[in-house]
This record gives sequence, C-alpha cells and structure tokens, in this order.
Amino acid sequence: MAERDEVIRVEGLSKLYRRMAPGGKLKTLKSALMDRSLTRGLRPEEAITALDGVDFTVRRGEAFGLVGGNGSGKSTLLKVVAGILRPDAGRVTVDGRVAALIELGAGFHPEISGRENVYINGAVLGLTRRQIGERLDSIIAFSGLADFIDEPVKNYSSGMYVRLGFAVAVHTDPDVLLVDEVLAVGDEAFAHKCLRRIEEMLAAGATLLFVSHDLGLVEGLCDRVLWLDRGRPQRLGPPRRVVDAYRQAVAEAESAEHREAKEEREREAAEDGRNERRWGSKQARITGVRVLAGGDERYNLTSGEAVSFELRVEAARPLTDFVFGIQLSTPRGVEVWGTNTHLAGFVAGRLAGAAVVRLDCPRLRLAPGEYLLDVAVHGRDGAPYDYWSHALAFSVTAAEQGIGVYFPSHRWRFAGGVEWEAGSGDGGEGQPIGGEAEVAGKSASGERREATEQGAVTEQGAVTAQGAVTERDGAVEPGRTGSAEAAAGADGGRGEADAPGAPTEEPGEP
Amino acid sequence: MLQPAREILRFRSLLATLTSRELKARYRGSVLGFLWSLANPLLLLAVYAFVFGFVFHSRFEGAQPYAVFLITGLFPWLWASSSLLEGSMSFIANAGLLRKAVFPVELLPTVAVLSNLAHFLLALPILGAALVLGHLLGYPLGGWAALLMPFIVLLQLPMLVGLTLGLSALNVHFKDVRDIVSNLLTLVFFLTPILYPLSTLDAYPALWWLVRLNPFTPFTLAYQQTLFFGVVPDAELWLQMVLVATVAWICGAWLFGRLRETLVEAA
Repeated sequence: MAERDEVIRVEGLSKLYRRMAPGGKLKTLKSALMDRSLTRGLRPEEAITALDGVDFTVRRGEAFGLVGGNGSGKSTLLKVVAGILRPDAGRVTVDGRVAALIELGAGFHPEISGRENVYINGAVLGLTRRQIGERLDSIIAFSGLADFIDEPVKNYSSGMYVRLGFAVAVHTDPDVLLVDEVLAVGDEAFAHKCLRRIEEMLAAGATLLFVSHDLGLVEGLCDRVLWLDRGRPQRLGPPRRVVDAYRQAVAEAESAEHREAKEEREREAAEDGRNERRWGSKQARITGVRVLAGGDERYNLTSGEAVSFELRVEAARPLTDFVFGIQLSTPRGVEVWGTNTHLAGFVAGRLAGAAVVRLDCPRLRLAPGEYLLDVAVHGRDGAPYDYWSHALAFSVTAAEQGIGVYFPSHRWRFAGGVEWEAGSGDGGEGQPIGGEAEVAGKSASGERREATEQGAVTEQGAVTAQGAVTERDGAVEPGRTGSAEAAAGADGGRGEADAPGAPTEEPGEP
Repeated sequence: MLQPAREILRFRSLLATLTSRELKARYRGSVLGFLWSLANPLLLLAVYAFVFGFVFHSRFEGAQPYAVFLITGLFPWLWASSSLLEGSMSFIANAGLLRKAVFPVELLPTVAVLSNLAHFLLALPILGAALVLGHLLGYPLGGWAALLMPFIVLLQLPMLVGLTLGLSALNVHFKDVRDIVSNLLTLVFFLTPILYPLSTLDAYPALWWLVRLNPFTPFTLAYQQTLFFGVVPDAELWLQMVLVATVAWICGAWLFGRLRETLVEAA
C-alpha cells in the first residue's frame, strides 16, 4: 500500500487528562506557562490516561470503526485526530480536509434562526459565505427543516438540532469524516439518511473514522475495527472478529458482575436474616446456587445452549416432606417459567444432611435479555423452608434480536411477489414455501450467519422483526447505490455474503 | 507575537460572521433592538451628568458644556471596558465551540472587541449631534481634527485585542480574572480623565502622574482633543498610544501563546 494512501496515521499516541486537585490551580498555570502543557510533570496519581500507545493507519476510502465501553478513549481519540486536542505523546497526521461530526451544531446560537446558524456553522467548519450560499438549499433539504429554518434555534428539539448540524457538516466536502455516535439522536428515518450519505461519501473516496456503541452498525459499515479498553488498543482487524471479541469481553464482564452480585447475596444470606428476598422456616436451607453452561459456572448465556441450574441444600434435621423448585422471571416481574420436583412427579423420600440438586435444560431458548432466578425448598403444601427470590441474575444473548422472552428456532419463508435484496435477511433469497420442511433454527451459539444484534434493528429491522409491511428503507428501492447495497448486505448476511462487496483484505471466517 | 494577528486576519470572514452573530443575537427578542446601543450610553451619560454637573455643581474649567465633554471620553471608555469584560469571558462562554470544533480560538476575544466597537460606532451619531448642538450654542467645539478619530480607534484596537487575548486565556485557568478585571476597570475609570479634565489635577502632582501614566489616559486625551477641543494631538501623545498598544499586544499575545494549547482542555 503506497504511503500516500494513508490518510490518517496515528503513531504511539498517548493522551493524559489531569485530575483536578484542589489548590492545584497555580501549579496548573505554572506548568501551562512553562511548557505549554497541563499534564507534563504530573505525578501518576494526578493524571488519568485516556489513551495509551495507540497505533493505526487508515487508508483512503476506508471505513474504520472504534468500539469500546464508556471512558475507553474513543471520543478522545477522535478529538485528537480532529486536532481539537493535542496528544501528550506520539504523532497524528491527517491528510485532507476533516469534518468532525463530534457534537453537532457547534457554535449554534440559540437566539438566531436556523438559516443564519447554517452560515455561522458553515463558516466555523471552514466554508466561505458564497459556498454556504450555494449549498444552502441542499443543506436545508437534507435537514428536512424547511418549515422551521427561520425559527430561532432555541425552539428546536434536540433531534432537529442534530439534523441541522449533520446537514451542514456533510456539506463541507470532507476528505476525512469523523463521526461520534451522532446517529443515535435523530429518528430512524434520519439515521438512515445519514448512513446513506456517509456511504455515498465513502464511495466517493472519503475516509471514515466511526465511533458507535451500535455494534451491528459498526460491523455493517466498517472495513476494519479497533477495540479500545481504557485507552489501550485491545484488538485491531476485521469487524466481525474484533466486535465478537469485544462482545465476548463485555459478556464475560457481565457474567463476572452477576457472579459477584450473587456471591454478595450469598454472603448477606450467610449473615442471615438480613435478606428481605429470602424467607422460610429454615428446616432446610439453600447453601448455594449456580448456573452452569458448557461445564462452567457462567452468567452470560447464549440462547439455545445447554444450561444447568444447581442448588446446594442442607437439612437441619432429616426431612420427609420436601420439594425443590426454580422459577425464572424478568427484572420487570414477568414470570417466564417455573417448575418443581412435585410438578415433575417426584415423591419425597428422605432429605438428610447436604445434597446437590441440578436441573438440566438441554436447550434453553430464552430471548436475549436479563433474567432473574428464584429458588426454593418447601413442603408439598407450599410451606417454605427456604424461599430465595432473585437468588441470582444472568443475561442471555442471541444471534438475532427479538422481543419477548421466548426464542424458538425459526426461519422465514416466502412465496409470490416478495423479493429481497440479495444476501440480506437470514442468509440469502429466503427459502421458498413448499421446499423441504423445518430447518433447525439458528444455532444460537453465535455462528452469526445472519443479522447481528443491533444491525438487525437499524438497517434490517423491518425485515426480521416487523415484516415487509412497515419500512423497507432501501432494500426494495430500485436505485440504491452499489456501496449502500454492499453495506446492507454486509449488515445482514455477512457470513455468506462476504464475497460481494466485502473488503478484499478481510480474511475468510474461521 | 504576530501569530494571533495572522490567524485573525486569515480568518477574517469567519470573524465577520461571528461578530455579526454576536450583534444579531445581542438584541434579538428585545423591543428596542439595536436602539439599546444608543440608549445604554445615553442613560449612563445622563446619570454622570446629573451627579457631577448638577448635584456636585462641578465647574470644570475648559470642559463646558460638561455633558459633551463627558461623551467624548465616556463613549470610547465604554467600548474599552465592555470589550475587556466580555472578552475576558469569551473562552469560557464559548467552551462548547472550543471543545467541539477545530477553530482559530483567537477570534473569540476579537469578536468581543469588534462587536463592542460596533456599538460604539452606532453611538457616534449621538456624539456628533452633541458636538453640533454645543457648537450652535456658541461653544468653540470640534473641528476638522475629528477626522483623526479613526486613527485613534485603530491604535486602540490592537491594545484591546491584545489585552483580551491574554485575559481570556488567563481566565480559563483562573475564574478570578473576571472579578479582578471588573473591579480594576471601575478603579481605572476614575483614574482616567473622563469625568474631569486632566488639568483639574494640576495642583496634585502625585495624582496627576498617576492618572497620566494610566495606559488608557493617552487614548482618552486624544479622543477629547480631536473631538471636543478640535485640536490635533501632538506627536508625543501619538507615540504614547503606539507604545501602549504595542506593549499591551505583546503582553497579551505572549500570555495567550503560552496558554493556547491548554485552553481546550481547561475551558
């Protein structure tokens, strides 16, 4: 790859923020006057590392994504690339005209009209008055605010504000487009419009640096992705791999959180009496609860995988009347499923000392979301020995979004005058009705052949969730541009659709 | 030292846009609108004229009619003081702009100075009318020397921009700057021969020198000489103005230059 094709080059970039120490003002000013930096010479406890040794290059025409949790340095990185912030170490070079869609409408003045603000914002972004005049109609049309353009901006909703800001920013002919989570504010239709515009600009050779928490969108739009964690680069590579690794890390962190919360509850329970969510005569006690998946204790489950719920119980004195039960519910209190040994037909014999009770579910098909587990030991008449409500929480993810609590295996099929974008939806043309029956549902262990989680909602939501009736933005519209098409395909059917429109350097899936 | 000046000149069209934004936004929503640019100084003038001319019965030798004398010093002073007050706040007030856009920040204090200059210029017809009126009443006021006034404005411009650059950068780190500036301005106002002609202090050499060395005094004297007395200021006075403007610019631009890179993070 030739040198000149590198539009953004970030080398060994580090950025510190200082902690505001009370009384450190004079010192701050002194260091600012002495060496023009607020952070040089700070002791480690006075500084927060926002970025630490970040290296990457972005080539012309490439869409480069940044993912990571809050405070991972994504926005700081974007601001350094934009030239708003200065690095404390390392070098950033950007070749070309930059448009930073960081917080839109910078410099909008609330008291004056949208039209006048377009001129000011355009001037701030580097357009001349004449250029703005030439583009004014197009800007207003893009914003969709023609009826309100002469109103003072203070009367705008936050969505309108962003619309106008975005409209101006994309009309500055940038070579490099820095986008930070701005699509989240506008409505669905405007978000689509913005995405289309971004894709058009990419097709025209612009370079994109894209920050979003919408991982599906990042996967669909970007050619390469960098995952940052607390300012340190974790992984850099093809979107699917990096996003999956990031999702995995998030899920593990969540699992650890659930586990900690559970252990905390167990500790509290051990100290006894303090738990409002636990009651009973304590003739038998629950001494531990675990969720097991794939042989490990785990609290991030994938829909459809084999899961076991395990109780450890202990009887103070031998009992002859006992029932073990579990119940799943959502945090909003919807009962999902419950069962007990009595319902299953077990008749109690004798419980003495310690025992382990395990309920195996070979395919737990829960819809993605958070779930709470209640566990109990009680008498056949329902008198609780130990009833433990919300004993633990776990999360379920699935390869495809869905609403509700149940995630059956499923497949869309169509007949008659229905047509889909090639490669979109669940892996191709859709299965004709009357073909061979029942295809095993998506193997939920995350093969992700089809729509990725959020991607399914933003771009393809209409297809997977609501059916073809509502919005079919783009997919059936005949005149979509090639790049938009590729991205729509990539959004949905990455697995099989890799060949057309996927970047050449992306290695095949494992 | 000249870097801020270069940036300001390079982005002059943005500067013009931002200044007009400031002016438009200023009176948007008020009934009198830009008439406040005339009303504000007039009301202040009325207060001073009443207190000093009527209550205290001050009979300043060679400063009659007193109200006209007052205008020639007061209006430029209002430009200077409100520029400094607003300008020193300009980075804080526009922190959003600083943090979100790549932006020649030196424009912001300059906008404060220029928008207040616009208010000053809008109030000039009052000054002109007062001079004509005084003339018609038989006072030997004004003359062709008034044509020199734009040059005084041009000299005071770098002084004010320089000071606001430095003060606004400092204010980002120390919010105390604003209060210090506003109190200092009150003090300096009375140490500038605006309410009284400098000759009043002839009997008090120490005080006279204090007032004479005040950096705002050469400008006030020059405005009074050209507008009120109709006299061309001598070379010494011009030199003093050039000196003050240069020193103010150098100090302000130096401070700004040292702090410039820290502004975005600290604002």
